[in-house]
Amino acid sequence: MAPLLFYLLSALVLGTALLVVTSKNAVNSAMFFLISLLGTAGLFVLLDAFLLAAVLVLVYAGAVVALFLFIIMLLGMKGGERQPLSNSAVLASVVAAAILAIGVLSFVKHGQIAASVPDASAPAAGAVLKFYSAQLFTTYLLPVQVVGFLLLIAMLGVIVLSKRFEDMEKSK
Amino acid sequence: MNLDLLQAAAAKNAWGAILPELLLGLLALFLLILEILLPKKRHGAIPAIAILGQIAILVGTLVNLRSGYLGTETFGGLLQHDMHGQFMRVFFLLTSILVSILGVPSLAKQQVPRVEFFHIVIVVTGAMMLLVQSHHFVMLFVALETVTIGFYILVSYFRSNPLSLEAGLKYLVMGALSSSLLLFGIVFLYGVVGNPELSLPGAASTAMDFTSIRQFLEAHPDNFLAKVGIVLVLAGIAFKIGAVPFQIWIPDVYQGAPTPVTALLAVGSKAAGFAVLLALTGVFAPYRTLVVPVLSVMAGATILFGNLAALTQYNVKRLIGLSGVSHAGYLLVGVVAAYHDPMAVGAVYFYLLVYLIASFAVFGVMTYVCGENDADQELEHYADLAKANPFLAVVLAIGLGSLAGIPPLAGFIGKLLVFVAAFHAGLYVLLGIAIVGVVISIYYYFGWIKAAVFPFWSGRRTAEGVSQACPRLQVGLLFKLVLGGLTIATVILGVYQGGLIPWLAAR
Repeated sequence: MAPLLFYLLSALVLGTALLVVTSKNAVNSAMFFLISLLGTAGLFVLLDAFLLAAVLVLVYAGAVVALFLFIIMLLGMKGGERQPLSNSAVLASVVAAAILAIGVLSFVKHGQIAASVPDASAPAAGAVLKFYSAQLFTTYLLPVQVVGFLLLIAMLGVIVLSKRFEDMEKSK
Repeated sequence: MNLDLLQAAAAKNAWGAILPELLLGLLALFLLILEILLPKKRHGAIPAIAILGQIAILVGTLVNLRSGYLGTETFGGLLQHDMHGQFMRVFFLLTSILVSILGVPSLAKQQVPRVEFFHIVIVVTGAMMLLVQSHHFVMLFVALETVTIGFYILVSYFRSNPLSLEAGLKYLVMGALSSSLLLFGIVFLYGVVGNPELSLPGAASTAMDFTSIRQFLEAHPDNFLAKVGIVLVLAGIAFKIGAVPFQIWIPDVYQGAPTPVTALLAVGSKAAGFAVLLALTGVFAPYRTLVVPVLSVMAGATILFGNLAALTQYNVKRLIGLSGVSHAGYLLVGVVAAYHDPMAVGAVYFYLLVYLIASFAVFGVMTYVCGENDADQELEHYADLAKANPFLAVVLAIGLGSLAGIPPLAGFIGKLLVFVAAFHAGLYVLLGIAIVGVVISIYYYFGWIKAAVFPFWSGRRTAEGVSQACPRLQVGLLFKLVLGGLTIATVILGVYQGGLIPWLAAR
C-alpha cells in the first residue's frame, strides 16, 4: 500500500510542478502549485512526519498560495503571450539539466543511502507537536526570540518601503 | 511537562552571557517607543540617543571583555563564547556606531523615515554578534536570516531612488538563493550526522551542533553526502562575503544602496561571513583535502576578478565594491592558511579591523561628496575636493592608501600578516596571485587619489562646475572628529600595534 501511495503522490507532485511552469494562466499556475504542495504534505504523512505535513498545508497551501492569488488578482495578470525561448535560454536550461542529472547520478552512486530502520524509540522533532513545541520553548528559546526581532524588522520594512513619505520635510 | 525539565532548560539559558545583544535589542525597541512618545519637533534627538546608547554598550563590552562566560557554552550549546567572539562583538559595535554616524547626514537629505533606519541597523548588529558566537546551525541560520532580512530593507531604504529599489530586489533574489544553498548544505550535514546507522555511539543528541558535526566528520573522513553539505555551506557563505563565483550582485547592490548601508554591507556583512568561516575551520578540519582546494581556487579567482574588474570603474561605489571583492580574496587566503596554521586566524582578524578603519574613512568622505543622489558618484565629482576641503582629501588619501596596502599605513601591516601566514602555510601560488593583485589595486586606488588631488594642482579644472553638478554637504565638527580619529588610527596601527596581534593570534 505504502509504496503505491508513494509513487502516486510523487507523480502528482512532479506532474503538477511541471504544470506550474508550463501553464499560461498565472491563476492556474498558483492552483497547480497548491496541489503540488498538498501532494508533498501527503509524502510527509507517509514518513510519519504529521506535524510537518500539517504545517506545510497551513502555511504554504493556506497562507502563501492564497497570498500569491491575491497578488495575481490585484495586478490583473492574465498571463498573455509567452515569449519564445531564446537560444541562450535553451543552452542554459540544457546545461542546468545536465548538471542536475550528474548530481542525481553521483548521489545514487556515492550517496551511501541505506534504507534505515525506523527508530520508534526516538521520534523525530518534526513528528509530534508536543515534542516539537517542548523543544521550541526549552532548547531553542533563544532562536525563537531572535525570530521575534526578525519579524519585527520585516514588518517595519514593509511600512518603510510601501508607505509614502513625500509630506515629510527634509531636516535641516 | 514536569518542572525539573523546565528548570534544567532555564538553567542553560544564561541570558547574562548575551547581555550586549540583549541591550542592543532593548535599545532598538526603546527608539521606536521614543518616536511615539516624543513630540515631533524633538525627533532630532533620537539618532543621538541611538549613537550614545551604542557607545555605552561598546564601553560596557570593553569593560567586561574578560567576562566569566569565556570558554563556556550557553543555551544548551547554541552559543559558544571565546575571545574571538568578544573581539567581533567590539568590531560590530564599532561598525554600527560608525554606520549610525554616517546615517545622520545621509538620511537628512532624503524624505524617508529616520528612526526605523537606526532600529534596523541596531537589530542587524545584534544578530551579527550572535551569528559569530553561534555554535549550532539552527542559531547560525536564524541569526544570519535576521541579518539578511535587515539588509533587504536597508539596501532599498531610499525608495524614491530607482537604483536603490533595483539593488534591493537584486539583493533579495541573490540573498534568498544563497540562504537556500546554505540551508541545503546544513540539511545534508544534519541528515548524515543524525543518521542513526552512521552516528557514533554516545554522540550528542542534536546533530546540528558544531562539536557533534566535527566528531562525526573525524569518524567518517570520506562521506559523500557530508562533502556535498560542506561545499554547499561554503557556497552559501561565499555569497555573503562576495567571493567568486558568487560576487555577481556586488557592484549593482553596492551602487544602489545608501552609502551608510554600503559601508555596513562592505564591512559588517563581510566580517560576519569571515568570522563564520573561521569558526567552521575547526569543524571542517577533518575534510581539509576537500575544503582547502575549494577555498584556494575561490581565493585566487576572487583576487584576480576583483582587481581586474575594479580597473575599469568610474563610479566610486562600484569601485569600492569591486575592490572589496579583492579584499575578500586576500582574507580568504588567510582562511586557507588557517587550515594549516592556527596563527593565521589572528592575521585575518587584524586585517578585518584595519579594513574597518580604512573603509569607514573612505565611506565618510563619500557621504560628504555628492549627497543628494548618492548612487551616481563618479571619480569626476572628486575633482575639486582638495581645494574645497583639504581635510577630507587627506582623509580620503590615507584611507585609500591603507586599503591599497602602502607602508607605513595600517593596511600594509594587515596584508603583511596575512601574506606571512600564507608563506608559513606554504601557499606560494596563492601568495603570488595576491601580490599581483595588490600591484594592480595600486593603479585604481591611486587613480582615485589622483582624481581628488591633482586636478586642483594642475589647474586644469574649474572647481565651480564640479560643485554645481554635485552639491556638497557641510561637514559637522563631530563628523570631522570621527574621520580624523579613523585617519590617526590608520597611521598609528601602521607603525605600532601594541599587544594586539599576539592577543588576536592567541586561541
